[in-house]
Amino acid sequence: MAVACLYPVLSALRLGFYDWSMGTPWSSATYQGFDAFIRAFTDPAVWRSLYTTLVFAFVCVSAEMVLGIALALALEERKQKPLKGMMVFRTLFILPMMIAPIAVGLTWRYLFDAQFGLLNALVGLFGVEPIGWLANEHLAFTAIIIADIWQWTPFVFIMMIAALANMDTSVIEAAKIDGATWWQSVWLVKLPMIQNVIVITLLMRLIDAFRVLEVIYILTFGGPGDSTEILSLHIYKTAFISQRLGSAAAISVMLLMVVALLSWWALRLSNPLKDKE
Amino acid sequence: MQRRELIQSAVTTSALSVFGAALPFASSFAQDRFAKYRGSTVVMSIPAHPHYDAMLKLLPEFTKETGIKVEVDKLAVPRMKDKQLLEMAKAQGDYDLICYVVMWKGEYVKKDLIRELEPFFKNASLADPGYDMKDIVPGYLENMGLVGGPKGYLAGPGAKLYGLPYGAETSILAYRRDIFAEHNLKAPETYAQMQALLPILKQKTGFGAMTSRGQAGHQCVHAWLLHLNPLGGKVFDANWKPVFNSPQGIQALKFLKEISDSGPAGIPSYGQGEMMTAFLQGQASMYLDATVIFGPVNDPARSKIAGKVSYVAHPKGVRYSSQSGGLGLAIPKNAKNADAGFLLMQWLTSKAQDVAVCKLGGGPTRNSTMVNADLVRQYPEYITLKEQLKYSDPDWRPIIPEWDEINIQALGVAVSEALTGKKTAEEALNGMIPKVTDIMKRGGYLKS
Repeated sequence: MAVACLYPVLSALRLGFYDWSMGTPWSSATYQGFDAFIRAFTDPAVWRSLYTTLVFAFVCVSAEMVLGIALALALEERKQKPLKGMMVFRTLFILPMMIAPIAVGLTWRYLFDAQFGLLNALVGLFGVEPIGWLANEHLAFTAIIIADIWQWTPFVFIMMIAALANMDTSVIEAAKIDGATWWQSVWLVKLPMIQNVIVITLLMRLIDAFRVLEVIYILTFGGPGDSTEILSLHIYKTAFISQRLGSAAAISVMLLMVVALLSWWALRLSNPLKDKE
Repeated sequence: MQRRELIQSAVTTSALSVFGAALPFASSFAQDRFAKYRGSTVVMSIPAHPHYDAMLKLLPEFTKETGIKVEVDKLAVPRMKDKQLLEMAKAQGDYDLICYVVMWKGEYVKKDLIRELEPFFKNASLADPGYDMKDIVPGYLENMGLVGGPKGYLAGPGAKLYGLPYGAETSILAYRRDIFAEHNLKAPETYAQMQALLPILKQKTGFGAMTSRGQAGHQCVHAWLLHLNPLGGKVFDANWKPVFNSPQGIQALKFLKEISDSGPAGIPSYGQGEMMTAFLQGQASMYLDATVIFGPVNDPARSKIAGKVSYVAHPKGVRYSSQSGGLGLAIPKNAKNADAGFLLMQWLTSKAQDVAVCKLGGGPTRNSTMVNADLVRQYPEYITLKEQLKYSDPDWRPIIPEWDEINIQALGVAVSEALTGKKTAEEALNGMIPKVTDIMKRGGYLKS
């Protein structure tokens, strides 16, 4: 397992020291020392892209966690007063996560389309002129965030609803007997009890937010300008368009370091493995 | 001698040296040149593109005629290159024939991934004696097929044929005849007239004056190049020094911004599909882009403007100039069935099949196709196209291996930022000079 995980990382690290273009044999690769790493760390486009990625990840993951937990709390199994149509709600909520990212990108692209999109049709009912949602850097950035929240809030929802279902109900009942309000039982009992699952979910979403590529590729291709070019798309363009595999590997290593740092921070909040020791 | 004549002479010389060798072969070879390959399968990499959609309808006829089966791997254009590079890097690839975009030809040859075509045309058992190479539009042949000549991609000493145009295109101005007639307007012949028409059309019709591509990356650069060359600008000077921030470059970008501001909503996010759809669905009065629009305009499934469109030449700036580019066919070095792949390529680009693909909505590659009486009745715009091709500029864009990076990661960001108003045209283009200079130094075109 360790070999399977480490091999790609070490390969990327090694590739970062070589200048190699796609479609040519490895024997044609030339050693370039730390050039690619220096270029990655001094390229303003890489830093702009990293900043975009951090803002994107922060906004998306925060919104997804809040919405996912809120939905799970609203739809959790209530033995005494089960909500009508619960199964339908649950199925509907997890649907976006099951759709292929390419299809998600295309769907949102059509929804945001300036000429024939549903959004412009709706605002048109109020006499608003068609808006170029993907033609403005702020609106385009908002668009990729909306698409990500739509797709991945269900993941948080599933994790949370599973955690809530496995909770020891006697503790909740004890809280009720002690006179705890709904808010108090959520803040002081339920959320602390599922804290480990929340942290693991946060970690998984954080890592995923740094890896997202397809939806943004389809929706904006990083534009307008480079306003939605998150680091994974920048790496893709460096590798497959600029054909600089060494530079792409160097930026990937940089991305790995950022994700590792954030993961370490998240695990410091609550480390489920440590608790079990 | 004019440059155009020089180019035509050079292309003809290159083409003749290839094709002249094929002419004398006995027709008996031709009759059974397919026999050896009967039952074999040619795997072809193609894009999702109107010309290739039309081509797909011809393939059953090829199999019936030759006994060679064809499998196609159809991908969106931007994804096609990744897949092709991966396939062609293997010892033996899965593709026997590939469709490529003009910008990739230099890179594929530099990496030794595609085959020179002269040996195939010299091979008596493969070459079709009736294949008239001189009939292929010289500008298309030079632009799509030749590598190794002046600048690495133009006709002249050292140029060799590596591919054949199939889905090649130039630019042309399409306009709504009904709207122009209703408002008593005249189709523009110059950039000044075209510029003057933008606010007039917007005001009179209430919808977009002209459609355009504008999405960050290749799409917005394509749109900018459409105006750069006629206005007298170039991306590089003769010594590969970036000069795209010249007054002409800035003028072209400002003009593109005017088109975007007076066009249908959302141009800075339009790829080729959205740009064409805006015109086909009646959201814009003018279209200045590739000739691939001919077929879709008359397709009732896609167009609301059939019968309402006329065409004129790409307007004159300081000179007449129109795009050269589009798609071509080549044979990978590691093809398993290279000979059968060549037979398919030769069949598709033959006189008869060029006519057939046009009847199905594809674009012409041959001069004879453009004067075919049946087709001219179906597409009267071929008369304008034939004239337009006289001004197709094979040096429209620098077709060097570094172009993709410059196109998408440098100019594609700058042009997009100017279109959205984040930067002025001057700031955007001046700001990209250091990055492009760095790329050119890395590529060895400029001294470090």
